[in-house]
Formats: sequence, C-alpha cells, structure tokens
Amino acid sequence: MKLESIELAHYRNYDSLQLSFSSSVNVFLGENAQGKTNLLEAIYVLAIAKSPRTTHDKDLIQWEQDYGKIKGRITRHGQSIPLELTISGKGKKAKANHIEKRRLSDYIGLCNVVMFAPEDLNLVKGSPSVRRRFIDMELGQIAPVYMHHLGDYQKVLQQRNALLRKSVGKAPADTTFLDILTDRLISLASEIVKRRLIFVAQLNEWAAPIQKEISHGMEHLSIVYESSVPEVLDKADSSKIEEAFRHSYERLKKRELDRGTTLFGPHRDELRFFVNDKDVQAFGSQGQQRTTALSVKLAEIELINHEVGEYPILLLDDVLSELDDIRKTHLLGVFQEKVQTFVTTTSVDGLDHALLDRSQLFYIHQGQIKCDG
Amino acid sequence: MQYPEPIARLVDSFMKLPGIGPKTAVRLAFFAVDMNEDDVMDFARSLVDVKRKLVYCSECQNISDHDPCSVCDDSSRDHSIICVVQDPKDVVALEKMRDYHGVYHVLHGVISPMDGIGPEDIKVAELIRRLEDEQVKEIILATNPTVEGEATAMYISRLVKPIGVKTSRIAHGLPVGGDLEYADEVTLSKALEGRREL
Repeated sequence: MKLESIELAHYRNYDSLQLSFSSSVNVFLGENAQGKTNLLEAIYVLAIAKSPRTTHDKDLIQWEQDYGKIKGRITRHGQSIPLELTISGKGKKAKANHIEKRRLSDYIGLCNVVMFAPEDLNLVKGSPSVRRRFIDMELGQIAPVYMHHLGDYQKVLQQRNALLRKSVGKAPADTTFLDILTDRLISLASEIVKRRLIFVAQLNEWAAPIQKEISHGMEHLSIVYESSVPEVLDKADSSKIEEAFRHSYERLKKRELDRGTTLFGPHRDELRFFVNDKDVQAFGSQGQQRTTALSVKLAEIELINHEVGEYPILLLDDVLSELDDIRKTHLLGVFQEKVQTFVTTTSVDGLDHALLDRSQLFYIHQGQIKCDG
Repeated sequence: MQYPEPIARLVDSFMKLPGIGPKTAVRLAFFAVDMNEDDVMDFARSLVDVKRKLVYCSECQNISDHDPCSVCDDSSRDHSIICVVQDPKDVVALEKMRDYHGVYHVLHGVISPMDGIGPEDIKVAELIRRLEDEQVKEIILATNPTVEGEATAMYISRLVKPIGVKTSRIAHGLPVGGDLEYADEVTLSKALEGRREL
C-alpha cells in the first residue's frame, strides 16, 4: 500500500497544500511547532477517519473555516484509488474512488496505516491494562467476532462478580445461577484466550527478527502471554483450553466465594517481554524498552501484511529522537522498499547517507513546505 | 421566583417518568395548564386506571384487565405449550405474528445480579408451579439474546430438566427479507452456527 500524493484544504495550519511522495522514505524536517505532526496526522485521518490526537473532529479544521478536506491517492493491490475525506461541523463525509461511502466502516480499512509515537513506548513500561488494550485493539481490527466475545465476557464477568460479592460470608445457597455464569464465562474466556495465543505466537514470529536486526543481532526478543491459569498456554484448541479453565476453577472455587470476586480469566492476563531471557520491564535498559516497543509495533506491520495481503503505511512521529543512531538507521532500513514510511524529525543528524539518498526530504517552516531529494 | 405549588408538584411528577428531565417536565406542566379540563380529567383517570384496573393474570403473570387474561381464558389455545418471555411487550409482539397458538408466561425481567435482581425477583417460581400440571408438554424460552437473557434461559432450563418437560430456545440469526451483506459479523456467525440441513 502506498500513498502517492495528498492534498489538504483548511486542515489544521495548512490553508492549501499539495504534495507527492516517494514510495520509500519521506522525511518531514523542521523546527518544533511548524506543522510536521499535523501532516502526519492528516495521513492517519485520511486512512482511519479519526485522529490519534483528538476526539473532537472540529479541531482538525483550520481556524475560522467551516470545513477541512483531505484528498489522497493510494495504490492498493496495484490499483490507484482516490480517497477524499471532508470534515465539517455536520460530521465527516468519505469518498473512495469518487463514490461516497455511507458507512464509515466501509471506508476505513481501504488504506491501512500503523503509527508509532512516543507514547507507544508505554506498551512496555506501562501497566498490564495498556498491553491488554493493545492485544484487544489489534485483534479487534482483524477479527470483529473477537470484540463481540470480549464485550460479552465483560458483561458476564460483571454479573458474576456482583453475584459473588453478594454471597461473601453466607452459606452457599443455590449455586445454579453461579454455575451458569461460570460456564458462560469459561466458554467465552476460552475463545478469547485461543485468539490471543494465536496472535501472540504470530507477533513473536515477526517481532524477534526485527529486534535482532535493530540490535545488530545482540538482542533476542520473546513475547510471552502470561495467564491467570498457566495450564491453558500449551493448548491449541478451545475445548482443551476450556478443560484447563474448568480444572483450575474447581481449585479456585472456594477462594472465589471467600473473596467475592472472579479470580481467573483473560481480564487478569498479561503480556511479558523478554530480551535475552531477562524481563524487559523489570531489568531492561531504557534503550531496550524502546527497541522492544518498536519491534512489537513493527511486527504489527507484518501482521497486517499477513492478514490484508499488502504492507500498511508506516507513520513515525518524533520517535527518532528517542532512539540512538544505530537503532534509528536500522529502524528505517528494516523494511527497505517494502513499506512506505513517513517520518517527522527536527534534524537529519545521525541518519546515514545511504538512507538519506533514497529519502524524499520535506522542509517544513510555518506551514510552508519545500521539497528536496 | 418559585413556580406556584400545583405546577411544582406536577413538574416533580413528570420527572418520575423515564426519559424526562427538569426542562421537559416544566414544558409539559405548563402545557397541562392550557389543556381543556375534559382532556385533563381523562388523562388523570387513565393514569389511575392503569394502576387500579389492571391485574396480573394468576396463570401467566401478564398484565390484564381481568383474571385470568384473555389468552389463558381462551380454550381454543393450546395449553400444553408455554412461551416464556421477559416483558408484557414481548407478548404483544408475539401475538402480532398470529401464528402461535400456545400460551405465555411473563417473567417481568431477567436475572441480573449487577442490578440486584435474583431468581426470586422474577416470576420463575410461578412458572415451575405451572409445570406441575401434567398438561404442559413443552416450554419455549424466548428471552432476549443478551447476556442476561441467555443466562436466565439457561437457568430456567436447568430448573425444568428434573421435571421432564421438553425445553427449547428460540433461534437467532438473519432477519427475513434482509440482505446478507448488511448483516453484522456476529449475527452472521450465529446464523452459520445455527444452520439447518435442507
């Protein structure tokens, strides 16, 4: 997937702008607060119809204007498709190949992008919920049924916790309803864990070579799914997983009634990252944590390629300043010609010459752009 | 300035209705001031009648103007099949079909521990009591296909099992006359799951 060109009208600080891009690396170079990230954001919004930075679509429209418009031309499976997204006070209108799409969900997905921004480093450093959300978001894009299972799971979990809370300290009365909720919880949990295990295995397959590449072969990354019920981990099909859950539930039954809450299930699970067999969150250096977050994000690119049949567009927002020279250059070299990449940076220092030679540079100064390269 | 007391009390009453906030309540109260007296009297009487003249059918627990209700009282209906629903509104929906000739049982809710609703808070015991009558051959569980509806259906089916009455659950899948391409992924996967041999 490649973005050939983009055209902006009344978007953020750009009154009108037209740019053509290189199919390999595009570097947006400029001081702070000149509009580099706005440009990157525009590409993201063209693809996803939603900004990663704000939930108010109105923020995307230039001051004192009624509407903002992003047009782009992408190549997808060898076919050139014009995309157009108009944002106004009344909402968003999306056109693909000149035809208006009535449902945004029919539009999103035509152009796949992966964005990496400094806050994505939290994937390694942040709390377990950040990592669970990462899994859920990615899986949700690939498998809509997963989101449904997850939604049902959360409801059953809430009901079950409410029931357990009520029966704390009381003699176990009629457990029929608890049994029903437990059955449902276990069957949903098994579906969720099965999908997650496949996802983590795929992620592992792709993230390890990337980490190796970035670290000059020094670092071996392995991603481990940590479950509240460790017995489920080596099971491949959902009926075996269900069996394992049931088995451990028998063990936890009494404690659950004492504590009044559900003590097992995917909502207590977690992802762990190991570099050379050491837990990165606890023992990794800052650099290793960054590389790990980066590798996982880049593995996502391979995953999309696997699912969609074409590489997505990679957007790197200001992450170069977070990485040392070696990691920087390797990051941009990993995908070579396969992935079209857009980078924002304040300086090209530390980028190697071979890379700069095949990059298109855009100098951005107060919303004005000069091309070079 | 405060509203005159009769208006203030009416506003307060309107606000007890679902979906009505303070602004709408004030608007409705002032509208009532301008209504003609007969309409107001009719309105008030309807409200009181809903409370005083309606009874719960001792058979099916549906709301009705007499006991037993018109469905339970109808000897041409098949009293060996009971369709179990959540709300009186569901009975109306099923009756529109004109194709079901059994009788009903209204649960008045579903089990939801989160909202403090246990099995004893809905009309499950009344249903079990009805099943002791040898006449009943089958019950159809027609609670909504939500998490709570499914769990309630499961609960009832387990209670009924020892009694030995046939229990079935309504199917879920594609709407009739709909296009496959407009169905959401979950409905489609349910429809595939519940496919039938032709």
